[in-house]
Amino acid sequence: MPTDIALTPKDFKSDQEVRWCPGCGDYAILAAVQGFMPELGIARENIVFVSGIGCSSRFPYYMNTYGMHSVHGRAPAIATGLACARPDLSVWVVTGDGDALSIGGNHLIHALRRNVNLKILLFNNEIYGLTKGQYSPTSERGKITRSTPMGSLDEPFRPLSLAIGAEASFVARTIDSDRGHLTDVLRQAAAHQGTALVEIYQNCNIFNDGAFDTLKNPATRDDALLRLEHGRPYRLAPDAEEIVHDVEDPDPTAAFTLSRLRHPTPIGVLRSVRRPAYDQLMNRQTAGAVAERGPGDLAALLAGTDSWTVRG
Amino acid sequence: MTYVIAQPCVDVKDKACIEECPVDCIYEGQRSLYIHPDECVDCGACEPVCPVEAIFYEDDTPEEWKDYYKANVEFFDELGSPGGAGQLGLIERDHPLVAGQPVRAA
Repeated sequence: MPTDIALTPKDFKSDQEVRWCPGCGDYAILAAVQGFMPELGIARENIVFVSGIGCSSRFPYYMNTYGMHSVHGRAPAIATGLACARPDLSVWVVTGDGDALSIGGNHLIHALRRNVNLKILLFNNEIYGLTKGQYSPTSERGKITRSTPMGSLDEPFRPLSLAIGAEASFVARTIDSDRGHLTDVLRQAAAHQGTALVEIYQNCNIFNDGAFDTLKNPATRDDALLRLEHGRPYRLAPDAEEIVHDVEDPDPTAAFTLSRLRHPTPIGVLRSVRRPAYDQLMNRQTAGAVAERGPGDLAALLAGTDSWTVRG
Repeated sequence: MTYVIAQPCVDVKDKACIEECPVDCIYEGQRSLYIHPDECVDCGACEPVCPVEAIFYEDDTPEEWKDYYKANVEFFDELGSPGGAGQLGLIERDHPLVAGQPVRAA
């Protein structure tokens, strides 16, 4: 729905004082999102940011758009309702690794499976930051935190593997401090019809500082990263054969293989396939039913005869 | 809005701020450091680590150093947005405001 509305990044800054810890990766993501938003050409009143609970979930306060700081883990559910009722809006979910994968794990996978027209930004810092440093669903095994003094025992989730397993139609990964790459991934996510999941590696400089340093350090990042681009060849290992990256491959096998890869770490769009969006299907079905049977009468339905008799 | 490096940095260039900046937006000139106004994400990590208290949030810059906002902006007129200071290293020039400062004795 791009229009000729001319906005600047400043137009997307709210009057709220940004309250994250100094040095937090969230600032870089906020700046990149505010920098990208004018490209959408969508009026601010038609953009909504919905978040759950956590550091990342303060995001809607700082965006000069509509927004909701909602229930822990339930941002995908609230955003689903909104995107279905108002398909004219651009709906974004901001969540973290704890909010999305632990507290809201079920909501996330079903939003992905349904392919509702949402853009989900998952800030993954591999720690619970807001509650002061407990291990999260993406923390590596053996992680020593206040809640796991002898090392965590859990195998971590890999968010992109989970998303592909949940039939996600768009799956990508980027890094907080790489503004150009982050913006490019946001652009591709925004253009996707359906649920887009963007995992953003985000540094928590207080409770998990340096978690992604090898991916950021100019001396190591070229070897540590696998930069994916549609139509360009890549290798899973230095001596492996070349594979041409095809984000539109209907078979998710290659994308899933990439989602398992740790060394090097793939960034970019892993998968972007066309699949009907839930909100479109739902609204079409509703319109068809109304055309066939009339608009319906809720009061009559509630007072109707379709009931059960409970016998003692 | 952005953070600004003001007069106390001139001839000091401690660089503790460079270590802290998560987006590598603090560039080194000949006599002072400069924060790139478009690359800065306003995270505030640099401000408390400066040993000479040279870094201020734009609105909080003391009146006597207000002009340093312009110095930080105009320093990048030629450079544009390189997207990271590390790759450039020392840039052998300064904004006229900095260049015109008396040399600070060590």
